[in-house]
Amino acid sequence: MSQDLPWGPAPDGHDRPHWDGLTRSELRIQRCADCRTWVWGPQQICPHCYGFELGWQAVEPSGTVYSWTRSWYPYIKELADRLPYISVLVELDETDGRRVLGMYMGDPNDVPHIGQRVEGVFERADDAPWPLLRWQRAREGAIQ
Amino acid sequence: MIAQIRGAAAVVGVAEIHYKRGDAPHGELRMTLSTIVEACRDAGISPREIDGFVSYAGGPNDGAILGAALMIDELRWSNMMWGGGGGTVAAAINNATIAIATGQAECVVVCRAIAQADTGRLGYASYHYGPHFMAHGIGSPAQICALRTQRMLEHDGVPESAMRNLVLAAYHHAQNNATAQAFGRPLDEATYEESRWIAEPFHLYDCSRESDGAVALVLVSADRARMLSAHPAYVLAGAQGAPGGYAERIDNDEQYSTAGFGHANNGKPGVAERLWSAAGLGPQDVDVVQVYENFSGPAVASLIDHRLCPPGRAAAEVLTVENLTVPHGKLPINTSGGNIADSFINGLNLAVEAVRQIRGTSPNQVPDAKTSLFIGGPMAPVVSSVLFGHADTV
Repeated sequence: MSQDLPWGPAPDGHDRPHWDGLTRSELRIQRCADCRTWVWGPQQICPHCYGFELGWQAVEPSGTVYSWTRSWYPYIKELADRLPYISVLVELDETDGRRVLGMYMGDPNDVPHIGQRVEGVFERADDAPWPLLRWQRAREGAIQ
Repeated sequence: MIAQIRGAAAVVGVAEIHYKRGDAPHGELRMTLSTIVEACRDAGISPREIDGFVSYAGGPNDGAILGAALMIDELRWSNMMWGGGGGTVAAAINNATIAIATGQAECVVVCRAIAQADTGRLGYASYHYGPHFMAHGIGSPAQICALRTQRMLEHDGVPESAMRNLVLAAYHHAQNNATAQAFGRPLDEATYEESRWIAEPFHLYDCSRESDGAVALVLVSADRARMLSAHPAYVLAGAQGAPGGYAERIDNDEQYSTAGFGHANNGKPGVAERLWSAAGLGPQDVDVVQVYENFSGPAVASLIDHRLCPPGRAAAEVLTVENLTVPHGKLPINTSGGNIADSFINGLNLAVEAVRQIRGTSPNQVPDAKTSLFIGGPMAPVVSSVLFGHADTV
């Protein structure tokens, strides 16, 4: 049984490759087939060369915290049971500075700091229709 | 030839009404009409003379509907400013000014109404944000602004006291405004600090209240204004926009910790600098500021963007309660109590207070105020500001 959650591919299927990537434990973001510019969030056109051939490329889920917030108020009812939770904006390593949002796992009392190294973990809840990429403090000895 | 905006139009009539959210006795259309009629009475004109309507951020009651209800002589200008939130609130005033300056219309109303019964709560506009926000726990303006503000604090070094002092100043001013929702409920530093978190770094008191109500402003040409009013609030300059891509690429914009009034991607002047240059004035010339505080952090960022206070740690030197309050402060802000302590009608209520300062009728009047700045909805994808001036400044 799957919950009806307010996320998943857009109705037009434009960002479907990103979500399909998550089911294979891959973080896929857009990259221009012509000029190789990394693009996120999902766009129709390359902002650099105006090419429409934006492909999807898997990147290493590692990066640094660009900003964060810890939410205490149930703005999203489907996540109310997780409060308080921490959301991070992560600057990815391989993508010329593109940033992705994610939830930061672990002890909610242990807040991250800007510049902290983080690594992605793929979370697939039994009743969730799509896996999601979550983030945690990078392990000691991990490639930095 | 480029039409001259500076001093071409003025606000000659204002009206605002507000209730605790959910408590409005009437819907948005009726409240809009009642404030327009009252603003016309304030201006000394007949509503039939209105030939333009401008609003922003949505709402179904367009110029044709309002014009028909009031049976105006002719509709010449009916515009909705694109952009959600309150980012285009000052742009709406700018748009009315442009219509008048270019002869497209002669008497333009800027209006906005909110009734929770009609549109729900703005702060819970959660499903405005797409799956790439929602999946990661971000589903409200509070959280979007919290992320940007956290970087302003932690990375740029702006002290948290800047946010707190802005809130305390608003509450201080509200104690002299009998119609403010926080009137009779002063706020001290300890109560602020101990209030619950909403989305860090925002406490409860960092967040604007939402109200039911309506606001209307009537603008006419400078020539007409001189005949109608003893103290027209002239539009000295208005500017709107944002750097390309700002706040509209899932948090991948360059000027992330700013409020959006910064320079263009090609280095040319952005909203704030275009405002100053069009006015022929600078931040040092501003007597009083109404700054839209959806949340305290974006308001602080707005003041930095407009060079009203320095960035980083030095912001604390300017943003003290003493400095932000009437009568002794050098940078008096939100003199009716602002969105946080007076009322929140999507920020247009702040424009009315900016006009009161030029008229000399604010509950916290800045002595002899000649220039009155209104900064619209910071950290929205489109932002705007408008500078009003007394006749002496035109």
